[in-house]
Order: sequence, then structure tokens, then C-alpha cells
Amino acid sequence: MISSTRRENMVPAKTGWIILVVISLVLWVSFSWAGQIKHLVAPDSAADCYACHKKATPIIAENWYESKHGVILVKCFVCHGQPDGQGSVPWAVSPDPRIVCTKCHDPAIKRMKAKFGLAPKCYTCHPFHQNSLHHRAYSKSQSKK
Amino acid sequence: MKLTRREVLKSAAAASAFMALNGTLPDLAGAAPGEPDKWVKAVCRFCGTGCGVMIGVKNGKVVTVKGDPNNHNQGFICLKGAELPSIVNATKSRVTRPYIRKNGQLEPASWDEAMDLVVSKFKAAIKEHGPTSVAYYGSGQALTEESYLANKIWKAGLRCNNVEGNPRLCMASAVGGYYTSFGKDEPIGCYDDIDAATCFFIIGANMSECHPILFKRVAARKQADPNVKIIVVDPRKTNTARIADIHVSFKPGTDLAILNAMAYVIIDEELDNPRFYNKYVNFMTNDKKKVDFKAYQKFLQDYTPEKAEKISGVPADTIRKIAKIFAESSATMSLWTMGLNQRIRGVWANNLTTNLHLLTGHLGKPGATNFSLTGQPNACGGVRDTGSLCHLLPAGRMIKKAKDRAALEKQWGLKPGTIAPKPGLHTIALWNAFSEGKIKAMFVLCTNPAQSLPNVNMYTEGMKRKDNFMVLSEPFMDAETVKYCDVLLPAAFWCEKRGVYGCTERRYSLLMQAIDPIGECRPDVDILLDFAKRMGVDPKVIPFKNVDDIWDEWREVSSATPYNFKGMTRARQEKESGIRWPCPTEDHPGTCHRYVRGEDPNIPKDYKNKMWFYGTKDGKARLWMRPYAPAAEEPDAKYPMVLTTGRVIDHWHTGTMTMKSPVLRRSFPNAYVEVNIDDAKKHGIKNGDNVLLETRRDKMIFQAKVSDVCRPGLVFVPWFDKNLIINKLTLNAFDKGSKQPEYKICAVRIKKA
Repeated sequence: MISSTRRENMVPAKTGWIILVVISLVLWVSFSWAGQIKHLVAPDSAADCYACHKKATPIIAENWYESKHGVILVKCFVCHGQPDGQGSVPWAVSPDPRIVCTKCHDPAIKRMKAKFGLAPKCYTCHPFHQNSLHHRAYSKSQSKK
Repeated sequence: MKLTRREVLKSAAAASAFMALNGTLPDLAGAAPGEPDKWVKAVCRFCGTGCGVMIGVKNGKVVTVKGDPNNHNQGFICLKGAELPSIVNATKSRVTRPYIRKNGQLEPASWDEAMDLVVSKFKAAIKEHGPTSVAYYGSGQALTEESYLANKIWKAGLRCNNVEGNPRLCMASAVGGYYTSFGKDEPIGCYDDIDAATCFFIIGANMSECHPILFKRVAARKQADPNVKIIVVDPRKTNTARIADIHVSFKPGTDLAILNAMAYVIIDEELDNPRFYNKYVNFMTNDKKKVDFKAYQKFLQDYTPEKAEKISGVPADTIRKIAKIFAESSATMSLWTMGLNQRIRGVWANNLTTNLHLLTGHLGKPGATNFSLTGQPNACGGVRDTGSLCHLLPAGRMIKKAKDRAALEKQWGLKPGTIAPKPGLHTIALWNAFSEGKIKAMFVLCTNPAQSLPNVNMYTEGMKRKDNFMVLSEPFMDAETVKYCDVLLPAAFWCEKRGVYGCTERRYSLLMQAIDPIGECRPDVDILLDFAKRMGVDPKVIPFKNVDDIWDEWREVSSATPYNFKGMTRARQEKESGIRWPCPTEDHPGTCHRYVRGEDPNIPKDYKNKMWFYGTKDGKARLWMRPYAPAAEEPDAKYPMVLTTGRVIDHWHTGTMTMKSPVLRRSFPNAYVEVNIDDAKKHGIKNGDNVLLETRRDKMIFQAKVSDVCRPGLVFVPWFDKNLIINKLTLNAFDKGSKQPEYKICAVRIKKA
């Protein structure tokens, strides 16, 4: 409900949506541009992402390490490819779920689709490598107590 | 509805941030770029887990791969499996036509020229020196039909039992273990047991890196029920130990004492299961005498936890603790692989692990089993089951048993006495004989012995001799053995042919052909059929027109044995994603637990007992009293440390495949030496320093990785690197029973280079 005191600032919904879309596009392009990150050239060890990233982006690296993907050694290049495009999947900060996630999770995606429908991107609900997904199952295991 | 400017801005910012977070990619609803024209069902080319894969093919090329949802892996694949397309597409590295070595160089030749030369060498050797002067050296990566065919050509066609293969190097001790304990080879349980076990006893296995999808299943079990216990027994604190409740590090080779001490504790704490062992188990001395339980108790007096602590370095209390967890669990599954197998006491180590199951009754019920993991995709189905080793015949029959030979001769339609009664030469003896020029002609197929044999310098020297001949069927031009072969044949690779892989859990899955062979490459079945024809092998002995004919004969042969998988017709295999034998009829679902009434079709439904170990004469399993004995080459003052070898997750075997994938190669471009922090300090070694490793065989420099993975006194080197072949340093001493070499332990000294 919009209060009457703010009525003078109101714009028609149609115009509002157009502005919203334009601003979104501008920000989207700029974020996307920023997404084309520069990456160090490290030809001989480019696939040992974790070794550098635990220093360069320690939180992300630690998140991966503690996640289920980290425990079972689904390494960075499996989903993110290689900075020089030499990987078997495209180099992307946000991988294409149709190319990457489906390699292993196709059955789960189909089950999900049948039961609840799908969000456009898997990681809207399942952030790729965050503890919240996997709850540090092993380090907090009750059996260690 | 109307919005304020502030709300428009807020919504726009939120939407943009959301889009940025989720990237710029199309969503799941649309078709993926490069969506394949078709998906072809197969099995992964790498480890013995045998994961089902779907190969995505577009315009005749492999473009992607995903897990097969209907196979045991339920759609999951590991990082090596995901890289299969880049390996299939590395066509520039392929052997695409035959070659003949002339004046030391491999020169292009036609198929006829190459095969004529091969056959002339084999015929000349047999004519001059008899059939025992030739040999076949195959692989746990060859298709079942390829191994079955080669075995029949040699043993029935050429009357030569020199049929061996690299499974001798990886799981012969497991065969020996199962055979001595149960009278039949191959595991009792299956992967489903992982989902039901409440305790995992992982010994001598780095599942995380060597069997990643099974490790994932164990981890998932632990996640589903945090009260599930995991015990990892390994001198290295590997990634597998990350999910362990207890990691037990011990002096390499002393696990025999630990396992006996666990048995001591189980009896001492009254955690044993007399109802099980009194009914189903015979107690056997090391020299094969049947004794009673009291004699076993007396034998174990030498293995009190305190005595075992002195031998192994594991605190007595830890041994007590793990023995209690093992026994008190409602269902314990033990898992092991090369750490137990690649030892001169490999069979004993297998027996002692099985003993714990026989003592506690953790066998033949969901989650309770002794499960040997294997290293190659078709070592079990292809080589063990088809009997493609020098002492075996198909389906668990033995060459030395006249009854077994006669039964097979009848099935194969051979004249009685065709199969030579003397077993051939086992792998090490075979390569020794080749190096001495006693074996004159060797057919090597789908394996890379110039890198994988232990103490390999000895054997590569032998391969250089002028008076012996080696033909190699190999897909990759840069395989180390290519340097030494006399004739090189272009083998079709993995998805360029059709046939069966049989994985660790007795599961046979059909690999369908996805693409055509490149260049002049041929499937190994075609190469072997051509060889047999040119050798003049009786067409009644080798009547096959194609790979499916071979499978049908093999099904028929199996039907007269407890392996019986007659129900696995090709039509059924094309439809289903793997079936576990025994599977006697087309409507049989396959078998999870062998030796269990109601599950194993070999046991009558009204059999008096729940279990029947029908592999032995009296139907009982055997508990063996195997003593602790040291390794072949223990550390000493001159070579004070232990060298062990193994895999990293990114590479497989000799790296001929995984080094073709840019990401896998970059993950580990070179072999390295893993050194414990304390040892590194002692030797003044820092991470990244060059370190000289020296054994009694050879010396080599590796870059150091300093960590706490290895225990003090132990160093580890992976064996994938053809430029740093660690097998030049390893030992070729072997187990007297299984003939498997002791890759896992030899004495070494290290210093900063």
C-alpha cells in the first residue's frame, strides 16, 4: 500500500517497469563485464586452482573445501573450466547448469522438475559451494564426539 | 499498481545483483549449446568402480559425457570421467596405422605387412621352441570379449598357457584371498551394501582418489547417518581420512599384526559370533591343517594389542577401539585395494581382513561384507572371470585340475587333452623369461608394461633385445611401451568399439559403440580374430564372426558354473545398465549377495542353512592363521625409509589417457615426492625443493611436497608420469601365492638434490 504523502513521487507502473528494465540491463552489462575477470597466467599449474585461491580468495576456497564437492574432490575446473578455455567446459564464474550440473545431477534435476518445477538456475537455491548446502557434515559429525 | 521512484530503483538494483550473482547464462529450461544428436550408453574407461556413462555424440564426434542414471552410480561421475571427451578427441596423439620397426625406427606399414610379420614370428617361435615360447600379455582394460578370445586362441588354439595380464599386478592377491577363504573368486557383496553398512573399515585403500564415486557413496552414507563409523587404516593420511572417525597410521607392512590383534580383542572382549563360525567356518593353520577354535586362540596369543603395538607403532588402545567398533556395529563393510594386494603377503592380508568378518558374522546380510575394490574397469569381468591368467580357465576353473580342463574341453568342443596341463608363466616370470630371450614372441594388448612393471629397467632392457619379438596393440603413440615394440598395431579406443566391462561388484555392463574408429584403427577383437586366422587356428575353435558371437559363447560356458550369467543376453544388456552375476535366466534380476539362501540362485530355496559356501568341499569358509611377516625389503641403515607408490585422483595408471586432458595434465603435470614435515626438517628439505630418491635399483629426482600426509619414515610418489617413472625404483619381489609384486613397500634413502 502506497501512502498518500508520497503520491507526488509516483510514476506510472508501465514507465516504472521500463526504467527498471533499462537500469537492470545497464547494471547487468557492467556486472557481466566485471565478470570477465583477469586471471593470472599459470600454464603449468593452472588446474591446481585451490593452491592459489586459498590465498587469493580464501573464503570461496574454504567454502569449496568444506562443501560436499570439496570432500569428494570435485575440483574447480570440473565446473568452472580453465581461464584460457582449455577446459572441457566453458570458462565461467557462474557455470551453465545445462552443461555442467547435468553431468552428474541430471536425475535429480528431473526429479525436482517433476515434483516442484525448476528455478532457472540450480544455484539460486543450491549455492555451488557453500557450507549451508552441506552443513559441514563430516567435521561436525556426532560420531566424533 | 504503481511504484515509487525509490521502489523502482531498489527493485532494479536487486534484480541486477541477482542476475550478476547468477551469471549471464541461459537457464535450465532451454537446450544446452552443442546439445548432442544422440546419447550412447557405456561405462567409464578408468577405475574399477565401473560407473555408467552416457556419451553425447554430435555429427559423429563425442561432445560431452554425463553419468548414466540407471547404472549403480545413479548419474554421478568423477572428474576423470567428466574429462573423457577431451581424451577421445585427442586424435593427434593416436596410433592411426600399423608400424614395423626397421633399423630401430617405427616405419608405417600396411595391415597385411604388419600381421604377416607378427604371424611369421609367432609361427617360427612355436616351430623352433614349442608353444611355451610365445605369450599373450593382456589387460584389465580390454573388453571381456577381447580377453576371452585371446585366452581361447592361446590356450585352446595354440596350446599355450602363457596368458597373463596387468591384473596380476593389481588384484591377484584379492583373487588368492577370496579363493583361499571361500573356494571361489570375486566379492560376496555389492555396492548396495554401502547404503546399509553402519561401520566402514577401509584398509589399504585411498577411495577418495582411486574410487571417487564409491567414496562419494560412503560419504553420503555418513552424511545421512552421522552415527555411521568410518575407520581408515593407512600409513598415509589421505583425503579418504577426511571423513574418518578414526585414522590409524601404522608402520608399512605391519597391518598383518594389527588385523590379528583385532581378532584377539574381538575374542577377548567376547564380541565374536560363535553361532556363525561354529556353523560356517573352518579354522586353518598356515600349512593348511584344520584345527579348532582353541588352536586359533593360542595362535592369537602372539598378537595381543600390546605386542602388535610394538610391531606396528599403533597404540594398543587404538587397536582395541577399532576392533570393538568393527565387531559391535550392526553391519560392518570392509573395503580394501592395492595397500593389501600389492604386497608379498597380499593373500595373507586379504585372509586376515576376511577373518574378522568370519569371526563376527559380518557377512551375507545387507551392509555386512568383505569387499575388495579393484583398480581397472574390467580386471574382474574381463580377466579374473574369463580366466585370462596363466593358471586359470574361464569361470573360476583351474588349469592344474584335470576335471576342470576336461569340463572346459567338452564345452569348447576340443579333443580331450588339448589344454596343456601345466600352468603358464605368471607376469614376473613371463617378463623375466622375455628379458632372457626365452619367450620369443609376445602379444601385448591394451597395457603399458614399459612403465607399469616393477623394477622396470630390468624389463625395458629385455625389450631391447634383438632375439625376442613384441607386438603391441595400443591406441596412443606416446605410450612408453611404443618405444620398445617391434610391431605397433592401431587399436580402436574405448567408445569406438562394442563390448562388456565387468566391475568390482560382479556387474557386467555393455559399452555401445558411439563413434567410428579413426584412421586404420581396428577393435582388438578384429585384430585377434585376424591373428587367429593367419596363425591357422582351427575355425571350429575360433568360429566367431563378431564380438556378439563371443559374448554368446561365454554366456553359455558360464552356465555350467556358479558364475552363470546366461540370462544376460545382448538384447537385455542393450536395455539395462549392468546386471550382477549370477544371473541364470533372462528374467533373473541379478545377485547382490552370493552364498546367501534366497539371493544366490546357486543355492536351493529350501537349503537347510542361511548360507552355503559352495566353493569349498564341505561348504564352509576358511579362517586362516596367517602370521605377521616383514616386507621383502625392510628399511635398514643404508636405505632407512620406505617408498610407496599410488595414484592421484587426476591421473589414471600410466597417464597415457589422462595426460591428454589439458586440465588433468595441469592439475598434476609431473610426479612428485610426498615427504613428512619431520623428515623434511631432518633433511633440510622445503616444499618445492628437488629431492633425490635412491633405492637399490635406481635413483631419480622429484620435487618435494612437504605435508603430514605420509607418516614419518615414509615417502610417496605417484606413478602416472612417463618422464619420472617411479617403477624404475620399485621392487619386483612377489607374493608366493598370488605372484603379485610388492609395489607398496621398498627401502629408499632421500636427500636434498
